[in-house]
Amino acid sequence: MTIAANVKQCLSTIKGIEAQLSSLALNSVDEGAKDVFHTTMLTIVDVKKDLQTRVLELERLEPQYKSS
Amino acid sequence: MVDWVDVLVRSFVFLALLFFITKILGKKQISELSFFEYVSGITIGSVAGEAITGLEKNMFHGMLAIAIFGLVTLFADIITLKSKSLRDMVEGRATVFIKDGKVLEENLKKEKYTIDELSSLLRQKDIFRFADVEFAVLEPRGTISALLKRENRPLTPKDLNMKMPAEKEPQTIIMDGSIMDEALRSAGKSRGWLSTELEKLEVTLDNVFLGQVDSYGELTLDLYDDKIQVPSPSQRPLLLATLKKTQADLEIFSLETEDVQAKEMYKKNAKIVQQAIDKLTPYLSN
Repeated sequence: MTIAANVKQCLSTIKGIEAQLSSLALNSVDEGAKDVFHTTMLTIVDVKKDLQTRVLELERLEPQYKSS
Repeated sequence: MVDWVDVLVRSFVFLALLFFITKILGKKQISELSFFEYVSGITIGSVAGEAITGLEKNMFHGMLAIAIFGLVTLFADIITLKSKSLRDMVEGRATVFIKDGKVLEENLKKEKYTIDELSSLLRQKDIFRFADVEFAVLEPRGTISALLKRENRPLTPKDLNMKMPAEKEPQTIIMDGSIMDEALRSAGKSRGWLSTELEKLEVTLDNVFLGQVDSYGELTLDLYDDKIQVPSPSQRPLLLATLKKTQADLEIFSLETEDVQAKEMYKKNAKIVQQAIDKLTPYLSN
């Protein structure tokens, strides 16, 4: 697998983490836990954005790996 | 009246009377915390027994006695709520038996407890050495409460400076295959959510003996058919593992890339994810 593919895979894992954190934040009863899940979810969103730009860069550098 | 019919009638009458008296007096009477309640408890019991089987006597005398004992206890309970000195007199005070790790012989003598009885009471609390006890009192009820020395107390997360997440009580939302709507509401869930969760685990509602939802909204089930394995909720530990994997991936990317800017970006994000892991670990590990 190329680097680009690896980064893409990591990006989708992060998206999954974001979704799970958001579902945990909604399902938890305790306010403190809700808050922790929510704030962590927001930081993960930032990581996701960085990775998304990196994926675009990689696609520009290595157009042959661009996903159709 | 035939004797056995008499006993039958009396039994039912006193059963009802005792039921109401204990209902009025409440849980305090049942736990017999003070000696006043202890005394009234045995007396009411034996008066009732006497009145049921003592056929030659008038049944109403027994009822009167029980009513008086019940009402006086109730009255005493109400008054002792207001006055501390009366409370000490009626309910008794706790006596200190061990203080600063030393047995107070005077108090032991006052309560007429021998050293054997004291060690027996301590043993019932799993304490075999006097030296381990910092402070022990004899409660009015006759039980002993002991505070162990700091180093002999069980280890708690606080001792280890661990941060533990707050947890709400789990709600039992399924009993004997029927949904408890009230508990479901307290857990903040709907019937729709429950049926989706059951479908996910591939079980029918009829087969569920007991279902509990914890404060993270995870459902744990016990089925009638014990041969079927229900997966225990593993969403949170799995999420923690995924987070760790992502963190490792980011670090690998930062090592592999030659682009300086990208290297920095990966490093920064690996750090962020690591911080997230540290923050979430108490919530995600079981």
